Amino acid sequence: QSLEDCPLDEDEDAFQALGEEDEDIDQFNDDTFGAGAVDDDWQEAHERLAELEDKPVATREQDGPSGEDSDLLGDPEDALAERLTRLVIDSELEDPAIMQAVQTRVPTQPGGLNSSIWDSSAVLRRIRGPLLTQEMPSVSVLDYALPQRPPQPREEERDPSERALPRRSSSPIIGSPPVRAVPIGTPPKQAAVPSFNQQILCPKPVHIRATLPQRYPTPYGERMSPNQLCNVPNSSLLGHPFPHSVSPVLTHLQRAQLLGGAQCLSASPQAGRMSPSQFARVSGLVGSPLPSVNPKLLQGRVGQMMPPASGFRAFFGAPPAPPPSQPQHPPGPGSHLQGLRPQPQIFRPDTTHLHPQHRRLLHQRQQQNRNQHRNLNGSLGDRGGHRGHQQERKDPYANLMLQREKDWVSKIQMMQLQSTDPYLDDYYYQNYFQKLEKLAAAEEMHGDGPRKERTKLITPQVAKLEQTYKPVQFEGSLGKLTVSSVNNPRKMIDAVVTSRSEDDETKEKQVRDKRRQTLVTIEKTYSLLLDVEDYERRYLLSLEGERPALMGERKQKICDMYDNLRGKAPGQERLSDDHFMQIMCIRKGKRLVARILPFLSPEQAADVLMATARNLPFLIKKDAQDEVLPCLLRPFSHVLYHLPLGTVTSLVQQLTNLPQSASAVAPTNVHLAAVLQNKFGLSLLFLVLSRGEELQSSDTNTELMQDNQWTELMLLATRELLRIPQAALAKPVSTPSNLISLFSRYVDQQKLNLLETKL
Amino acid sequence: MNYMPGTASLIQDIDKKHLVLLRDGRTLIGYLRSIDQFANLVLHQTVERIHVGKKYGDIPRGIFVVRGENVVLLGEIDLEKESDTPLQQVSIEEILEEQRVEQQARQESEKLKVQALKERGLSVPRADTLDEY
Repeated sequence: QSLEDCPLDEDEDAFQALGEEDEDIDQFNDDTFGAGAVDDDWQEAHERLAELEDKPVATREQDGPSGEDSDLLGDPEDALAERLTRLVIDSELEDPAIMQAVQTRVPTQPGGLNSSIWDSSAVLRRIRGPLLTQEMPSVSVLDYALPQRPPQPREEERDPSERALPRRSSSPIIGSPPVRAVPIGTPPKQAAVPSFNQQILCPKPVHIRATLPQRYPTPYGERMSPNQLCNVPNSSLLGHPFPHSVSPVLTHLQRAQLLGGAQCLSASPQAGRMSPSQFARVSGLVGSPLPSVNPKLLQGRVGQMMPPASGFRAFFGAPPAPPPSQPQHPPGPGSHLQGLRPQPQIFRPDTTHLHPQHRRLLHQRQQQNRNQHRNLNGSLGDRGGHRGHQQERKDPYANLMLQREKDWVSKIQMMQLQSTDPYLDDYYYQNYFQKLEKLAAAEEMHGDGPRKERTKLITPQVAKLEQTYKPVQFEGSLGKLTVSSVNNPRKMIDAVVTSRSEDDETKEKQVRDKRRQTLVTIEKTYSLLLDVEDYERRYLLSLEGERPALMGERKQKICDMYDNLRGKAPGQERLSDDHFMQIMCIRKGKRLVARILPFLSPEQAADVLMATARNLPFLIKKDAQDEVLPCLLRPFSHVLYHLPLGTVTSLVQQLTNLPQSASAVAPTNVHLAAVLQNKFGLSLLFLVLSRGEELQSSDTNTELMQDNQWTELMLLATRELLRIPQAALAKPVSTPSNLISLFSRYVDQQKLNLLETKL
Repeated sequence: MNYMPGTASLIQDIDKKHLVLLRDGRTLIGYLRSIDQFANLVLHQTVERIHVGKKYGDIPRGIFVVRGENVVLLGEIDLEKESDTPLQQVSIEEILEEQRVEQQARQESEKLKVQALKERGLSVPRADTLDEY
């Protein structure tokens, strides 16, 4: 029964609301067209209103509910005025008339930004007059939402609850961006500021919530009217990443950039464009980018330009561009079809403090911008001067996408490029550009100077903030709300890992599992490796005190890597190469080993080498498809460089599998054969031999023992080499030069020639 | 003015003639009039170009709004070099006919292949189900 009741109740309420609405509409119509529409003198009205502001609340309250049908200029207006003042609207910026009035009141002052326009609410209240008389009684944005009867009590009811709404930046209630009346993806509105009549006829169908955004303390001061808040899609977008608590520290360089950026900004806004890189520079470095961004957005919409905001003011005393009084024609859809834009005023900012060359460049750029703009060729840009012109003339559909829309898109794209750690987010881009810059620098060294200015994209850098999420709590409730969103994901399901028992597994599964385990090991080791490789960069960026800790970390990681490679359990002796072999069978594993080798200590590296040499035929067989083994040659050769003779000897032993058992008289040395037939194997063998030869020839007093061993080995080796047919030999990567001298010690001339031809 | 150098921003490409390849295989040629942050495109005076062998045919389509995710690639057309092509333009009817013929031939060969495989006891998974991966 209760279920049935509810819908009925709802319907009743709805009907009631509708009824009230109907009455309102009747009244609105009346006010507009009927008896209510009085051709009044707005100046008188607003004088009256100005007096009204100062009256006490009590007297106004008496007047409020009464006299709906009475004279417009009478009590309802007072009630409305009073309501409005309570809402604390500080600016009505939509109306060009107001803007005009404001400007005529406040002449541009030289030097320093005059913000008195926005600060003195008294001025504004007086100005609000015309708006009130014509707009408010008929359709006020509030009235559309709040029916007039009963006006005050209900409004008071709502006021505290609305006012209780906290600042957006301090507590992300749901953890996600606030609900927007206009979705974030919508471009800025094209429509010009409609005239009053227009507004009356078709009141903006704004969602109720959005009609009361005056109550929201705007992130960048009360400069925006509610409609503009809605229309500026990025107001909240930008609000998020630049919370007030961030105060970027400006280095000398950044300040200089800012200066340059601001100069360009103030210089070129009349051209109607702002280079996004300047956006980025400024927005990224200044704590509140919104003021810098807004003027550009509002420019088209309002048909005027706001002075650049306090962000700039703080850093340099350059006077802002005075709002050029643009013609009042609405910058609506009609304008772009004509392809003409009103010629902006030329404004020369104060550049006396700049270096003369800088100033010159700046003015040149301004000139360029102006010329470009005159050609209206922004979009067809660089396509060769006069041909571009011709095409521009023939193309009546050009510039359908307005400049500010382009700016808007590029702004979004720039925002997407923001990151707290560019090396993490965009590693390849960073490295690529570093390489390019190094090349350019190298070229510069040879040449006379910078040949061409390559424009570089400067992405905004955001300081990383540790924001601890505190879950929402209601008083009196048990426990915490589990609210999850994009910004704070919560675990939904408890996934439990069940390991299979040994009995169930078949041999195949075991093999597969083992391979999987190896793959996991490889991945873990790879991340360790990447960290280790990154330490150098971190070292440079870190402070003195932190460095030992970094070094320690690095060492530890290297040890871990080695353990991973050779199989863990440091307690036990490393008996088997099995683990290592598993890794080496996988392509990625081989590459991993190649990258790790430079970081290992000589003993560890030698160990790895030995293991490889020992099992080389096996590896060669496994590598037949991938052919990745040659990548190991370079790191191996580096390792070899540091090895003593003893190790080298044993290496050769391993590689050639000599000496073989005495019983075998003339068997085929499969091991050696395999090695020799493979490119990698042969190259490695040569490297080792060459190193041995080096050591032999360089060190005059080598130990006799080792010498003997080496000599024996070499004799055997050369015998084998002679035996193997030439066709079977692979092509080595490189043949070291001292091999001939090596072999010359052990064989006679004839055989030497034979060997020479073979290799 | 150089918008975002070093990146693939489409702003510089506006009002220029482009060739757009869509995920369903269609080729559109038109003037890029507007973009947004998702690379949704507005193409003006669009023409759908069908290629069969050495011939191609253009079907005028008017204004196209393409959702960004459906674009495989797009590139600016050099107007000077545009006419410099070995391909032969034919009428719409002809190219559609050619396309139909080609489609038929492909289906025939596919059928034969499947048949042959079936005889040998093998099967090939259907191509259209793999399309998305």
